[in-house]
Parts: sequence; C-alpha cells; structure tokens
Amino acid sequence: MLRFALLLALFAGCDRGPKSEAATPSQAAAAPVTAPAPGKTFGAGVSVAEVTSISKILATPEAFKDKTVKVEGMVLDVCPKRGCWFEIAGEATGQKLKFKVVDGEMVFPVDSKGMYAQAQGKVSVKELTLEESKQHAEYEAKEYGKTYDPASVTKPTLIVRLDGTGAVFRDKK
Amino acid sequence: MRWRHLFRVLHRDIGYVCVALTLAYGLSGLAVNHIEDWNPNYKFASREVDIGPLEGTIDERAKQMIAKLELDPRQVRGHFAETDTQLRVFLGEGQEAVVDTRTGRGTLKTVTTRAVLFEVNSLHLNNLKGAWTYVADLFAIALMFLALTGAVMMKGDRGITGRGKYFIGAGLAIPIAAIVYLYA
Repeated sequence: MLRFALLLALFAGCDRGPKSEAATPSQAAAAPVTAPAPGKTFGAGVSVAEVTSISKILATPEAFKDKTVKVEGMVLDVCPKRGCWFEIAGEATGQKLKFKVVDGEMVFPVDSKGMYAQAQGKVSVKELTLEESKQHAEYEAKEYGKTYDPASVTKPTLIVRLDGTGAVFRDKK
Repeated sequence: MRWRHLFRVLHRDIGYVCVALTLAYGLSGLAVNHIEDWNPNYKFASREVDIGPLEGTIDERAKQMIAKLELDPRQVRGHFAETDTQLRVFLGEGQEAVVDTRTGRGTLKTVTTRAVLFEVNSLHLNNLKGAWTYVADLFAIALMFLALTGAVMMKGDRGITGRGKYFIGAGLAIPIAAIVYLYA
C-alpha cells in the first residue's frame, strides 16, 4: 500500500468522472454542496445534497427508477477482480445496494471494505425472468467463487442497483 | 538517406526511454490477460475460527467477537449483520471476520496486494487517471513511432521492400484472422 500511496501522491487529485456522463436534470437542479466531503473521491464525486435511504429505494424501487440519488453507508464488498462495483450497507439487517460502474471508469480498492461511503448514481431496476435469474445466480457464483444451487432460485429476481457516477470513501462517518 | 539515419537515432533513443514502461506494460498484460483464472492485483487468504456462541445485541456481539478474536479495536472499521445470525466485522487493510453467532464458527479473511503487479497494473490500466493519462498517451505514440521507424530502418532485401513486407504481412494476418474467426 505504501508503494501505491507514493504513486497516488504523484498524481494527487487526479480522479475525474466519466466524460460520457452528462448531468441529469435532477443533478443539475441539486443544491451545490458548500464544502466538499473529505476522503478519497472517485469519478465525479457526489453533488446531490439530500441522502436517500437505501431502505426506501429497496422498498419501492420503481419510485426511484432512473432517478439520480445519493446514498451513504458502509462498504461491504468490492469487486475483487476489476474494482468495478461495491456494495453499500442499508439500514436494516442484510440490506445492501450495489453501486456499479463501467469497468475501468472508476476502480474501487478491495481493501476499502468497512469504510464509510457516499455514492451517487442513477437507480437501475431490472426484473429478470426465472431463467435469467438462474443464469445470473450461476454467473455471480462462478465469477466470485461462491457455491451455486439452482434449486435456490425459485422466483424471478429484481435487480436494483445504482449505476454510479461518483463516490467518496472515508475512514469514518 | 538522411531521414533513415535520423529515424535510426530517434528509434534508438526513444526506445531506451520506452524500455521500462514496455516491460511494465508487458508484465501487466500477461497478468491481466488471465484475470478469469486468478486475481492479478490481490492475494486472498482465510483461516477458520471458532470463538463460541455470541449473545446480546448486534453491537454487543460485535464487541465479543473483537475481544475473542483478539482483534485490535483501533483497526476495527465497523460491523454489519448479514443475517440474524451472521455477523461481519471489518478491519483496516480489507481484513474481515465473519462469524455465525449461534455457533461462533467462521473465518478471518485477509487481503494483500501483489507486490510489483499491483503497481504495474495500476499504470497499465490507467487506474490513476489524471496526469498519467497523458504519460500513457505519449507512450502509445512513442510505441507507434518505434513500430514505424523500425519497419523502415533497413533498406534493401532485408528492409520493408524486401522480406520485411512478408513479416509485416504475417503480423497483420494474425489479428485479422482472429477478428474474422470471432465475428464472421
């Protein structure tokens, strides 16, 4: 980590967001944040003022579909291969929301687990068929070295995630 | 001709400058080519733990877990109840303890970066973004320059108009054949 920190120090403040992402109306209308959140910034960072509860998003995903929101919570897992997603903890037991970016646009360090994150992106809601749900579960199990039991997938999966534009990681809230 | 001499000088000196990054990118290329088979950036390890049943609220169980596993409280980042009985405690450097609170059995996971590979992958995949993007752009242009000047450096039978054109053709045929095979 020390070696990488030295490299990062050479290019401090170099993170920037994806060029292709235009600000959505809700982002444009959002009140500017008066002081930038301290911590490590990924992509375009966070600009939406209000924090949306992950519980609310997961409870009524259709109400948030395609809306740009900011969520916050503990980083639970990070994509171990490409660092292209992380899971952020919700308020209740087992509750989590995946934050996904295009491979390479932002790279989240695997050792960020347990850090406090604020993340901003567009809510994506996709309902899979039962067959697609099984294929998805099988793919995830294979990709991340987990066990897959086809019998465990008995109903179509609703995938709710944030298509991310930026995030900020901090050691503590 | 003078231009051939100039190309030779530039090819040689720019080549020297590119040695380090060419080796770094080549090494990283080998590593990330096989990302489906291994993790080119991190090493993961885990060991089984058995600390006995934990009781109380989630916060109390987390405290018991930290004490029984003799974890440094200063390293603890937080905890999360994955289920009513599975508790995760996160530590610095990506360490994590996962325990079934009914039985006390679980795992202590650690993650470490792969020396050298982590750094060269960060450069090669441009994880640093910012200023490095321009360094990488210059390097890419330099590689193209080296390829072109290398191709025309020799004259005669061993040059591009001689057997050189066949080697260039062979080098071109490989990626074209791969694309035709994949998309035809």
